[in-house]
Amino acid sequence: MINCEFDRRRFLQWTGAGLFATASAQLSLESIAGAATTTPLPASTPILVIVTLYGGNDGLNTVVPFTDPTYQSARANIALSASQVLPFTDSLAFNSVMPEMSALYAANKVAIVQGVSYPNPNLSHFTSMAIWQSASMTAEVSSGWIGRWLDIQPHSPFNAIGIGSTLPPLLVGDKSVASMVDLGGIQLPWGPAASLIPRLGRSSSSDVPLEGAAATSISDLFSTAQLLSPLVTKSPTGSFISEQLSLVSTLINANVPTRVWEVNLSSFDTHVGEKADQNALLAEVDAALGAFMTSISAGGRSNDVTVMVYSEFGRRVMSNAGLGTDHGTAAPVFLIGNTVKGGLYGEQPSLSALDANGNLVATTDFRDVYGGLLHDVLGTPVGDVIPSWSTALSVH
Amino acid sequence: MTPTPTYTERLATARLLHRFNFGPTPGEFAALLKGGLAATRKRVLEHGLPDPGLDSVVAPNLPDLGPYPQGNTPAATAFYQAMNTGNQELVVWWLDRMVVSHYPLAERMTWFWHGHWATSVSKVGYPLPMQKQNETLRHYALGNFRDMARVMVVDGALNFWLDNEENYISSPNENLARELMELMTLGVNKFTQDDVTAAALALTGYSTVQSNGNVTFNEEQHYSKPLTVLGTRGPLNAESLAWLITSKAENAKYITDRLWFRFVSGTSSPPSSLEESFAGRDIDELVSALVNSPAWSDPANSLVKSPVEWFVGACKALKVRPSSLNTGDLLWGLSQMGQVPFNPPNVGGWPYGQAWLSGAAFQYRFEVSQLIVTAGDLSPLNVSPSKMVEASADWLGVPEWSRRTASTLAAATKTPSEFATLALLAPEYAVSA
Repeated sequence: MINCEFDRRRFLQWTGAGLFATASAQLSLESIAGAATTTPLPASTPILVIVTLYGGNDGLNTVVPFTDPTYQSARANIALSASQVLPFTDSLAFNSVMPEMSALYAANKVAIVQGVSYPNPNLSHFTSMAIWQSASMTAEVSSGWIGRWLDIQPHSPFNAIGIGSTLPPLLVGDKSVASMVDLGGIQLPWGPAASLIPRLGRSSSSDVPLEGAAATSISDLFSTAQLLSPLVTKSPTGSFISEQLSLVSTLINANVPTRVWEVNLSSFDTHVGEKADQNALLAEVDAALGAFMTSISAGGRSNDVTVMVYSEFGRRVMSNAGLGTDHGTAAPVFLIGNTVKGGLYGEQPSLSALDANGNLVATTDFRDVYGGLLHDVLGTPVGDVIPSWSTALSVH
Repeated sequence: MTPTPTYTERLATARLLHRFNFGPTPGEFAALLKGGLAATRKRVLEHGLPDPGLDSVVAPNLPDLGPYPQGNTPAATAFYQAMNTGNQELVVWWLDRMVVSHYPLAERMTWFWHGHWATSVSKVGYPLPMQKQNETLRHYALGNFRDMARVMVVDGALNFWLDNEENYISSPNENLARELMELMTLGVNKFTQDDVTAAALALTGYSTVQSNGNVTFNEEQHYSKPLTVLGTRGPLNAESLAWLITSKAENAKYITDRLWFRFVSGTSSPPSSLEESFAGRDIDELVSALVNSPAWSDPANSLVKSPVEWFVGACKALKVRPSSLNTGDLLWGLSQMGQVPFNPPNVGGWPYGQAWLSGAAFQYRFEVSQLIVTAGDLSPLNVSPSKMVEASADWLGVPEWSRRTASTLAAATKTPSEFATLALLAPEYAVSA
């Protein structure tokens, strides 16, 4: 990836070589100045990569209490047998479709935080995901926790980048939003109007807030494109999650000045036929994370990156007759990285002492996980991002 | 001589047109401004009349493709081709309707209800059940919500989408029961887990033919003993369950909130008087109350147009029939922008607001703008260059261009295609201020 290194000299070469002839020539002075003074992410700056699994990933078939007789009896039709798991303690195992995570765990690079949820769990996908993404228990707070972290950073469209074209709530602050880069690459406007389009990205005193946000999205596209578009090329066809993580590792290894990355995968809502569907999804996630860590470990950011993998909830302990599971509560969160102190954190929830709905009782509050990441990775006091929260679970 | 309309009049007119009618046709905005706000409100509410615009839009004639074929045979290839073609035809057909309808409120409301009962072809697979659901939503789009709920709860596409296929007395599957109450009728925290468990039993005994969406009821597989849902006890089936749920006051509040959220503001709450207009669950009455409310002159009530709303508005203004565009290019563009009809991302429907305003989305909005501008009728720009900026605000139904956009447009008056591209991509057109 040497030829993808981003630094000032190279940036000047690109622009000097006229690769951005049309666009860069017409960029506002402000964005050119901004881009030219942007420095590569300083060495040893920690980086957070957030992997969101939408739909409610079944934690019990991910990190499997395979020797617990209650596990085998409560979900006899979908339980994983001893031959379908990769044990790492005498009572817990990874689903056998996760050899990469198993190997990373053996190398002490995976922290598994067990039984993570929030008080009074809500079985709604949307409420639950809103709580996880806003780090707030009240619907009044709609900003995302990374969005609020962005709000207190000096503005740069590089601070946080999501992969895709639609902004997840997680990345939307009260004042700032993350940039989005699509897997399809960055294609700046072309044709006769192209030279004038950057002007639509200027702010105007008559803008209502949403018009201002629309203008900012345009200027951010142009200012990020200069640095990113040579790096963002359509990756070889892999799974959706592996393409996203492969792009992120490329950009991280190129020293793009970004502290937070976000990727995601959907379809974990396995009410029916769970085993085949979830295994296929987990296998994709596992392979993608394995390749990502291999790529990161081979680059200059080997010790800087921490990955968090989470979902809005786990699933019911008792399976249903459709070979699936209904909405549940607590589930494990994975924190992965070469400087993460691997191992088990928190407590595995009991499979017999369940709540009134037959769901697991959480043992760790998700805000403690965020607290640790804010403190250890983003260097920000937790209370600055999650008001009135002060505790943190550190895995570094 | 009519006095020049105030900014507030332009704002309210633009909002009513964009939010309830997918934006103006050429000349419509200026004409409505002349007629005044009362006439505009009346105009955007028109529906149920013979619509000559729709005469030329022919619904795809979708066959029942039958079960999924086995193996890699020529018949299997033909099957998947037919499925794919049908799904594409369905999208283009609906977009055409949105663009050419003379009374667009019905299509606009059908679009709202599609996001409300959000069912995705990504799981349903077959186009026929999606088309049937779409016709149901259109039929009840401005009817009575309780009737709509009673029919939708036994809609084949919805039943398949939410796993009611796998809902057994011995082991209920809660998916349909929960989302019916949470997302479609009552809202979150307005019911208990016990209500979900009981409602799931009320929904047992229904099976769906995936390929055509036909739902049949099998008494023997239905839980026929009394159930307690929302404090009422008695035997329940799908229809009586929907009838019971929608009788609750929370249902009126929830649906009113949803309309307010998608049509007026993502941040404020509706006045309680609005909910009162929905006491009888008459959607027409609620929409009328909304259109006639004072909300439209409140500067705070701005919204981001979703990609489909932006696209349809642009096609209306430039007189482009979506079916005249290259289908592959069109569907690629919509998909990259993040919104293809019949394919919402999940049962919660599409995102809203700032979620649509990313740089990545903008690059695709540009690509789609080129499809539209290339095919479009730019004759409304046939005015003297000094009038072009002002004329374009009326053409597209923009209350006012900012100085930023006005000066950018003024630099492009020599080339109408360039001018139109900039206008469609301007923040003032991406957002309904």
